[in-house]
Amino acid sequence: MSKRSEDFKRKIQKVLFRTIKRATTQAPDEIVKSLNRSLNAEDSEIAKAQLELMLENFAYGAQNKIPICQDTGILNFFIEIGSEFPIITNFKDIIDKTVVKATRTIPLRANSVDPLTNKNPESNLGINVPPIYTDIIDNDANLKITILPKGGGAENISKLFMLNPADGLHIFQQKIIESIKKAGGMPCPPIILGIGIGGDATLCMKLAKKALLRPINLRHQREDVANLELLLLDKINALKIGPMGLGGRTSCLDVHIELAMRHPASFPVGLIVQCYSHRYAYFKMNEKGEIIDEG
Amino acid sequence: MRVNIDLPVKEKELRELHLGDIIYLNGLIITARDQAHKKIIQLNEKGNLPNSLKNLEGSAIYHCGPIIRENKGDYEFISGGPTTSQRMNSFENEVIDILKVKFIIGKGGMKSLNTKNYRVIYLSLTGGCGAIIQKKVKKIVNVELKTLGICEAIWFLEIEDFGPLIVSQINEKSLYDQDF
Repeated sequence: MSKRSEDFKRKIQKVLFRTIKRATTQAPDEIVKSLNRSLNAEDSEIAKAQLELMLENFAYGAQNKIPICQDTGILNFFIEIGSEFPIITNFKDIIDKTVVKATRTIPLRANSVDPLTNKNPESNLGINVPPIYTDIIDNDANLKITILPKGGGAENISKLFMLNPADGLHIFQQKIIESIKKAGGMPCPPIILGIGIGGDATLCMKLAKKALLRPINLRHQREDVANLELLLLDKINALKIGPMGLGGRTSCLDVHIELAMRHPASFPVGLIVQCYSHRYAYFKMNEKGEIIDEG
Repeated sequence: MRVNIDLPVKEKELRELHLGDIIYLNGLIITARDQAHKKIIQLNEKGNLPNSLKNLEGSAIYHCGPIIRENKGDYEFISGGPTTSQRMNSFENEVIDILKVKFIIGKGGMKSLNTKNYRVIYLSLTGGCGAIIQKKVKKIVNVELKTLGICEAIWFLEIEDFGPLIVSQINEKSLYDQDF
């Protein structure tokens, strides 16, 4: 490997570690603000006690640089690499080494378990993990890596619906509301929903997951999709599940929908549920290896 | 109403609690997730239950898989909020009979929990609040079943001002939606 690519590799490893740490020990400002709004909207003492502890916990975690939730999840990596970025190899190796270091030193909970033997290598590595989603961006010279630690409680509520195209658009809302109602406090509400409509089984789930990375209160650019997001948000909050399922006005912080064209015979809907402790962090590097953005 | 309770809890104190009360616990509790629950039942059937698990009458099971830092036999509690209690549904009533604990601490409630006549009380702790719990765990006293891994092992925790805990299932009444 050339000296230049060794140099890039080292720089990426360093900033990646910092990003994993931020993604597991700090809640984004938009989530803190959103929970503060919820706190103001609640009257019940129980709902308020939940939201107050959530906010106190965010502050304590950030201050002491420890994971705000013990479930540091499966670390999902979203790589967006510009077609003009100088190196495109070795990402798997860079990520694996950084995940092992982060697991030992932050520390993170070891969350990779062999599904047949139940063995946990205590490293967060193993067969097909961590998940890495890569997109190549045309005419761009930057590298952006976003990390989404996805906890088990909320992920267990995620679902795929393969609906009949004739009634898909009508039935899908009902299916989503039913799932959220049944889940109650399990996904740690107030939740955030990512929904993918269209594509195929794989694509709608991927879109649903990526939809979670859109900032709270930022609507889809298409008006009909934006209206559907707001309609679902209202319907879920009307369930009165409340913070941690103990009743209250805030059950959902936001709903984000992404679309893909569907097959004429299929109407796939992917639902990815995220807890209130919606942690994610990213960095952006230019073609010279300089960090141009972090958050 | 805010209530402070020292563990092991007395029968009289249990009967003074009401649905929706906010309480704080002090004393010794254990963590246990599904793998530990399964193992407790197996060990008890074979008559091999460790002595440390025979002295928990009036104490609490905390549904939690914490992050623990291990330094040459010393343990440091890093982060540990509650996990989803429903995963323990099929084991809990039997484990309560074996350990004689009086509180279950977790999140989301338990559909099959038998709370009749104050047999046990379910306390909800805010999910995701792992970091702040570090402040409330004074000491890791012991660990059992460590072969299950850090997350699934049984950790004996000395806790102080542990809460706010919401009394959410008591004497056959529940704050959770009945059809959950």
